[in-house]
Amino acid sequence: MLNITELQKEAWQSFETSGLPTTRDEDWKYTDLSRLQALLGDKWWQVAATETAVDVTALAIPELDAYRILFINGHFDAAGSNIPTSISFTPLASLMQEKPEKATELIQHQPQAPLNNSIIAANSALASDGACICIADNSHLDKPLYILYLNSGGSNHLRTGIQLGKHAEAEIIEQFSGNHTQAGITTVVTALRLHEGARLEHTRLQMEATKQYHLGRVEVSQQRNSSYTLHSSEVGGLLSRVDIVSQLQEPGATSHLNGLFVASGRQHIDHHTRIDHNAPHCISRENYRSVLDGRAHGVFNGKIVVAKGAVKTDSAQSNANLLLSKEAAIDTKPELEIYNDDVKCAHGVTVGQLDKNQLFYLKSRGLSGEEAKQMLTFAFADEILSKMNHKCVRRFVEKAAFAKLPNITDLEGMLG
Amino acid sequence: MSNTKKEQQPESFTNREYEAGFITDIETDTLPPGLNEDVIRHISAKKDEPEWLLNWRLEAFRHWQTMTEPHWPNVTYTPTDYQAISYYSAPKSQADGPKSLDEVDPKLLETYEKLGIPLREQAFLAGVAVDAVFDSVSVATTFKGKLKEVGVIFCPISEAVRDHPELVQQYMGSVVPTGDNFFAALNAAVFTDGSFVYIPKGVRCPMELSTYFRINALNTGQFERTLIIAEEGSYVSYLEGCTAPQRDENQLHAAVVELVAMDDAQIKYSTVQNWYPGDENGLGGIYNFVTKRADCRGARSKVSWTQVETGSAITWKYPSCVLRGEDSVGEFYSVALTKMHQQADTGTKMIHIGKNSRSTIVSKGIAAGHGNQSYRGLVKIAKSAEGARNYTQCDSLLIGDQCGAHTFPYVEVKNPTATMEHEATTSKIGEDQLFYCQSRGISEEDAVNMIVNGFCKDVFNELPMEFAVEANRLMEVSLEGAVG
Repeated sequence: MLNITELQKEAWQSFETSGLPTTRDEDWKYTDLSRLQALLGDKWWQVAATETAVDVTALAIPELDAYRILFINGHFDAAGSNIPTSISFTPLASLMQEKPEKATELIQHQPQAPLNNSIIAANSALASDGACICIADNSHLDKPLYILYLNSGGSNHLRTGIQLGKHAEAEIIEQFSGNHTQAGITTVVTALRLHEGARLEHTRLQMEATKQYHLGRVEVSQQRNSSYTLHSSEVGGLLSRVDIVSQLQEPGATSHLNGLFVASGRQHIDHHTRIDHNAPHCISRENYRSVLDGRAHGVFNGKIVVAKGAVKTDSAQSNANLLLSKEAAIDTKPELEIYNDDVKCAHGVTVGQLDKNQLFYLKSRGLSGEEAKQMLTFAFADEILSKMNHKCVRRFVEKAAFAKLPNITDLEGMLG
Repeated sequence: MSNTKKEQQPESFTNREYEAGFITDIETDTLPPGLNEDVIRHISAKKDEPEWLLNWRLEAFRHWQTMTEPHWPNVTYTPTDYQAISYYSAPKSQADGPKSLDEVDPKLLETYEKLGIPLREQAFLAGVAVDAVFDSVSVATTFKGKLKEVGVIFCPISEAVRDHPELVQQYMGSVVPTGDNFFAALNAAVFTDGSFVYIPKGVRCPMELSTYFRINALNTGQFERTLIIAEEGSYVSYLEGCTAPQRDENQLHAAVVELVAMDDAQIKYSTVQNWYPGDENGLGGIYNFVTKRADCRGARSKVSWTQVETGSAITWKYPSCVLRGEDSVGEFYSVALTKMHQQADTGTKMIHIGKNSRSTIVSKGIAAGHGNQSYRGLVKIAKSAEGARNYTQCDSLLIGDQCGAHTFPYVEVKNPTATMEHEATTSKIGEDQLFYCQSRGISEEDAVNMIVNGFCKDVFNELPMEFAVEANRLMEVSLEGAVG
């Protein structure tokens, strides 16, 4: 096995040979990173953070009762963290020093992995810190684990690994935020491993500052009868691309992916998901929605691969997109690749604007046109958000999402 | 256990020998294999082509030389050696130019008879004018007089080049430009024949136009070029059907089909493709790499593609519609069956440019044995396509655990007033459905046939009457032997 220095060197070489992905790559057809260098300079990966102080209280979810792990500008902040004793936690930076072989395992760069790209290689080479967490067999975390990644611009490269032992249960909330006004970039990989019977609720909130680039990846590997649920919300950043790669390795594993992206202005949000059904009797459900206003550009690509022998696979995917303005655009591509006959797979996509009949109905009940529009837009998005466990998290996302849509003003009145 | 028996049945169900596999022995006037400018000059000279067409071909050839063969589809095959193909092959008796069916080589007629297409009877009874393409040159065109009365031009494209050069020059390459893609460029350089249809303003073509393609001579790629022009307010339904003799070497078929629909014009283009699919080990079979595109130029124009693809080792084609006109309509109905080692990567492109343009896509895929098939489609709604509407449905039916079905739909929407829906499902024949039918006294084979037929019904309904019968027969034949 390579040692950590060699590994990072090798990953960097791999990045340097391939360079940034371009729109000529099929997986990056709709997402153009060519402006990255113009915004951040040739060495976009090592830009220093701005002087702006990070205001943790202003950025964090209010009223959330949770354990907390805080990273500021790509480094662990012990003072702002509150870590439960029941889990084993080491920041990646310390792990690299103390147990380099463990760190190697975590940031191992696998060129064969699905949706692999040079950004991951760069992240492997540059990862400065991240959370390395082990949750022991049969342990149940009593409160959510809130992992907060805050930045004040510049380049941040994070790598987090979470392992759930047999029949362990946990809830994790990852949030990416910043309050600066300069351009910056975050690259992050979250690797999750669920052992037999483990259950994980994963909430991922991308609320980066307005000029931040966010390039993220979530890798999930699931063993027998484990269950994984993702609530992904993308509301921030200038350009964001998140790849969710889920591997159902053993029978009985279940994966639920819920995602919402709300974009306006010149935001570009790209979500790629890939679910590999590698074993029989696995279930996957995917439900993604987008609300696009202004000149926003949304991209969704959902791929489900059913391997030979993965019989009794049950998989359904749905993607609905709402375009609120003339300038907004969506490119969506739901893919199925099935090598087996005993399966049930379905996907559906819709793109449209608000239903005239529904608008008419609300107006006939005395609502103004504006109110009716807001209510329907909100209801469209809330179908995803309503699946979240914590009311305070849901409200937090709703506020962040709809503050950006100028038409949605009187939000509180609509909240149930 | 009865269960194992059940598993076995779908296997034999699709293992049916290719019924149309035989070679007609006719002397052919064939060029030695190879491709260079001299070959193109030779083809052009053989067909007495004007200077502009030769230049057009050469330009396409020069462009083709700069291109590389694309490899993005979800199919695998041994690469084609373009220098090992003979680019011209015509039945020898063609020099005399048969003027009626009586003059046609009797062996040719015999071939059609073996295929169950009695040309004379069918042409007479069904009122179909048949422009039969045997290898690359048309040898029989019927009902010309009747079509002439209403002003419809239906002839081999080489004849159109001679008699209506202004029309050919104006429209050929205007929908699929010579440099459009690798295979289209190759076709433009070496195409030998194909059909030309021109429907004048306000004319409803009095009969279904039909061409039977047949690849015959060993080692000749078939490069057809079809051009259909429907002027304002006209209507035409065009049928294309294909069978080919059995052989062991892969044959390349790279046709180009161009449709142009003006204001209020309607074109219905139906295909039944049953070329040789290769044997049960995946040896041989036709490579069917076709570029088909329709240009709905006029307001309220409508183009409808219907295809039943049961043959070919590899099918790789995307009949497309460019919906330029306001309120123009594009439709695509497809049934694709892949069995043994067949592969298909097919679908459609609907490019919405005009206001209130509408499109419907219904694609049904059936994969059996080691067959693999992909639906790949693009629905693009440009900023200008105010109020555009698309509905897409693609379903796959899987028979056996060695086959695969894949869906790659691209949806690109740049206008908020557009409404687009896409749905796809993949499943095997429901055991409960089979059980229900059997409990009502229907044999398993009939039950499977019924379910498959029901599955394909949406598409077969779109076929012209004569073709619907043939398509049904084709499905039955392909799926025969499932049980007992």
